Amino acid sequence: MSLALVADAPAAAARSLLEATAIATCHGRTPCLRDVAFRVGEGETVSLLGRNGMGKTTLLRTLTGLLSGGPTASIRFAGRELSGARPAVISRAGIALVPEGRGIFPNLTVLENLTLPARRGPNGKAEWTLARVLDLFPRLAERRDNWGDQLSGGEQQMLSIGRALMTNPELLMLDEATEGLAPKVRDEIWATIRAVAATGMSIVVVDKNLEDLFDLADRHVVLAKGEIVFEGTTEDLKADPDLVHRWLGV
Amino acid sequence: MIRLPSWPVLLLLVVAVAVFAALPWMAGLYTVKFATRILAVAIFVMSLDILIGVTGLVGFGHAAFFGLGAYAVWFVTPTDDGANLLVALAAASGLAGLGAAVVGFFAVRTRGFYFIMVTLAASQMMFALFHDTRIAGGSDGASIDVKPYLEIAGRTVLDFQNRNTLLWFALAGLVAAYALVLVLVRSRFGRVLQGLAANETRMNALGFDGQRYKWAAFVVAGTLAGFAGALFASIDGFVPPEILGWRESGLAIMMVVLGGVGTLWGSILGAVVYSLAEEVLKSGHWVGPLVSEHWPIAMGVFLIAAVLGAPKGLAGLFPARPARPWRAPSDADRAEAAATTPAPMLEVAGLSRSFGGLSAVSEVSVAFAPNLIHAVIGPNGAGKTTFTNLITGALPVSAGTIRLDGSDITGLSAAAKARRGIGRSFQRTNILGKMTVAENCAVAAQARGSAGASRAEEERAVAHALAAVGLVDRADRVATSLSHGEQRQLEIAMLMASGARLLILDEPLAGSGPEETARLTALLRDLAADHTILLVEHDMDAVFSCADTISVLVNGRLIAHGSPDDIRRDAGVREAYLGRFAGLEDAA
Amino acid sequence: MDLVLVQIFNGIQYGFLIFLAASGLTLVFGILGVINLAHGSFYMLGAYMALTLTQMTGDVFLAVALGIPLAVAFGAVIEWAFVRHLYARDHLQQVLLTFALILIFNEVQRIGWGSYPHSVPIPSYLSGSIRLTDTLAYPVYRLALTAICAALAAAMFLVIQKTKIGRLIRAGESNREMTELLGFDSRLLYRVVFAAGTALAALAGMLAAPVESVYPGIGERILIISFVVVVIGGIGSIKGAFLGSLVIGVADALGKVFLPNLAGVVVYAMMAAVLVARPGGLFGRMVR
Repeated sequence: MSLALVADAPAAAARSLLEATAIATCHGRTPCLRDVAFRVGEGETVSLLGRNGMGKTTLLRTLTGLLSGGPTASIRFAGRELSGARPAVISRAGIALVPEGRGIFPNLTVLENLTLPARRGPNGKAEWTLARVLDLFPRLAERRDNWGDQLSGGEQQMLSIGRALMTNPELLMLDEATEGLAPKVRDEIWATIRAVAATGMSIVVVDKNLEDLFDLADRHVVLAKGEIVFEGTTEDLKADPDLVHRWLGV
Repeated sequence: MIRLPSWPVLLLLVVAVAVFAALPWMAGLYTVKFATRILAVAIFVMSLDILIGVTGLVGFGHAAFFGLGAYAVWFVTPTDDGANLLVALAAASGLAGLGAAVVGFFAVRTRGFYFIMVTLAASQMMFALFHDTRIAGGSDGASIDVKPYLEIAGRTVLDFQNRNTLLWFALAGLVAAYALVLVLVRSRFGRVLQGLAANETRMNALGFDGQRYKWAAFVVAGTLAGFAGALFASIDGFVPPEILGWRESGLAIMMVVLGGVGTLWGSILGAVVYSLAEEVLKSGHWVGPLVSEHWPIAMGVFLIAAVLGAPKGLAGLFPARPARPWRAPSDADRAEAAATTPAPMLEVAGLSRSFGGLSAVSEVSVAFAPNLIHAVIGPNGAGKTTFTNLITGALPVSAGTIRLDGSDITGLSAAAKARRGIGRSFQRTNILGKMTVAENCAVAAQARGSAGASRAEEERAVAHALAAVGLVDRADRVATSLSHGEQRQLEIAMLMASGARLLILDEPLAGSGPEETARLTALLRDLAADHTILLVEHDMDAVFSCADTISVLVNGRLIAHGSPDDIRRDAGVREAYLGRFAGLEDAA
Repeated sequence: MDLVLVQIFNGIQYGFLIFLAASGLTLVFGILGVINLAHGSFYMLGAYMALTLTQMTGDVFLAVALGIPLAVAFGAVIEWAFVRHLYARDHLQQVLLTFALILIFNEVQRIGWGSYPHSVPIPSYLSGSIRLTDTLAYPVYRLALTAICAALAAAMFLVIQKTKIGRLIRAGESNREMTELLGFDSRLLYRVVFAAGTALAALAGMLAAPVESVYPGIGERILIISFVVVVIGGIGSIKGAFLGSLVIGVADALGKVFLPNLAGVVVYAMMAAVLVARPGGLFGRMVR
């Protein structure tokens, strides 16, 4: 489905939702970023690729305000400049992150994890309600009264995604979306991400399962040693297996 | 590393000593008594700096040992005579030291907030003991009617009844204590204490038993506090139980921080300045009746301003003395002597570790031959860090064996493994912050001491390590001022200096740029000439260019082990890294 | 036997009071990471506030009603002026700055109320004693105090368990970064928590005023006891603080009967025993 979309209308033509430029950071042992420019169009799904330690997480943490993007950085989101803003402000502007490690509150129940951040989106939209999220993840509905740390890895990831949706974001970013999950659970997660994308949500996803990302993403961005070394459609990427092995394989 | 005082500071100290010594000719009885109290408190506060500034332990019950020393004088004073001065001082130091040994034994097992609370609780227990029971006068306090004196062959040599004698004795005591403590903290023992303050994990990984060193520091500090307490008790001949309480401990911490943590002379300065400030604020003559009436408010404001405005304390306002320049030993070229033991062979068999039913590492069997670089790679969460923690002893194994050069080391503690020559670096930077590059290596080299190395060998090891990593011209720089890449080099130099033969490096290249990466991988190649290296790293280019063998961990299992070419061709590895895309290549 | 029973009652009542103070301390330390030595001063100022407001209004409960908003505002101001500078500092500087605050608050107390002990009258409708058995009578105000504290404790659990702010407090305790990522400004959360902690300590002081005489050192005793409770219960654990408070309250009261000279030691010995057996306290470090 998304492949067809790419073929019809090149993603770059979509109106920009997020436009980050000149991000340059170096914080001790976190991988550095060197003059990175990154954009996401409205309704677009972008995959962020690269081997471990190449700066993917650093970029996501910079975009959410957890790390400084450096003095030159500009992060424009839905017409607002967010560079230097606190994470809470960025979250309320409509960027949600499903972090690596999932960040489930172990001492809150599933229901509490979900309702804690529940609010209308930046444009007053309230598309994602508790009922709809539980509908998307029936497993969470079953385990609604369990503590956060009593969930399996897959359930935690569902909870983390559901919780992010409860903030009614404009842009959903997932770091290591299916890491450490069994193949069956992975497929479930991919299905839900696809379903969320179908609602018109803009998505950035980091994962290492290329084949799944080929199906899902409109555009791929490859980071290596803090720089963007490739940007293009699935066709471009598939046409160049050397490139894949050079930057992503072993 | 705690430095000798700089010349301006030394001058200040000499002037201060001269002023105190001359007080009996310049001022009245009240001032002499006040000055003596400052001196006794200064010794007490300096002893606390051994804990806080040198060893990094925030003791919040230090007054207990000060008070025990004071009470000891009362205990050894006969009803109608003064105590023998030597007996009194020995009893004070001894009782306080004993108390510190008991409290410290438990306290050093805790950290941070809990250490604060355990020391606080211990001092409050002693306070309750002396306040609520009739021991030594109970809540009324203990009176020492005749103060200690020293008689030799019928002649009274020293008599604390004499105000001036006590002042001069306390002054001499402070000077001697300062000199002794300075020597102690700059000794090999003190170097380890400062290493613990900077980074306890690192020191333990180098093979030092951190708890025992901290315990020793606690006893030393307590003993000295007891000595100070004996002097304090001799000033008024009266010991109130409040002297043991938490307010006194809190005041001592204030003085240490006010003066400047970890400088020793700063704590003396803190005691003097605090006491003078209190005296000035209390006297309407200087500040007017309104302020003097409510002096604690002014004192509080002064202290808050000091905390927020000068986090380094008063000592931070003075120039610090630069470190003594490091000089390579003249026989540095004999460095090869340091590298006599051959690099070891590491074998693991059936190595497993599970956390509450989830296995993080399962059934890993592999042999790492000497003098090679062995890379361990795998996706996040594959068990690489757990694997290295098992080998270094940071985590106990659930099953399996670890053999180093054929001998079973599975059950040894981390420190014991470190002494067998297993050295590790950590994902997070692990240098000892306030020390210079050379001092970092010197502490590491000290870890060889237990393996029987001589001082000369240690010095040669330092020189060899600095030369090997190319940091000779940085030897006198404070470690934290190094660039990111240089700090990585220093970590490796420390491992070399420690005499480790098996180096376990956890992501040494993380955060490095291309040039730094090239420099560090070249360094690793050189190191492999006389070490066995286990390299956990994400940078695939670097791994494939410098490793001799590669082991791939996925979900805690070893799915492949072999030469870089073998690994590159391995289908399982490709899938682990590229997911189902691995099949794509065949289709293409 | 009656004495023991009375002391158990007293211990429970004292334990509830400690709980009010200690719960504030454990929240502040668990969430803000700040060791607040001035916490006892808030208790003391609460007691003196009860004294003055009772003189003005004639009833200690009216005083409490007026005092709580004052204490909340006071806590927020102290957080803004001093405490927020300590979040990035180490324990040592936290100890120092809050110790300096004690000096100031003690002097403020001396200026305002002097050094002599005062007493706050028990409201007439709660004076007198109630017969529990043939030989045992117990003061009505103490019973009422216990009931009020129990109700407050229950209310606190309800707030923590059932309300949005309670969820946020628990979430902030386990993963502050994640709460930021979900759109909650931790600066605001910290101010709210600190103000609430201040109010809890002050409330304990206000309620205790009629049963204890109000004297200058009143805050320091409760501070040390609260720290002991926090360590026993586990840092950040309200449940642990509750259990720890009752245990310490009863142990202290019984210690006074059976080991009159060593009552002060008993409490600390219990803390040492807990630390040796369970280094993380009775309830680890998680608020659930």
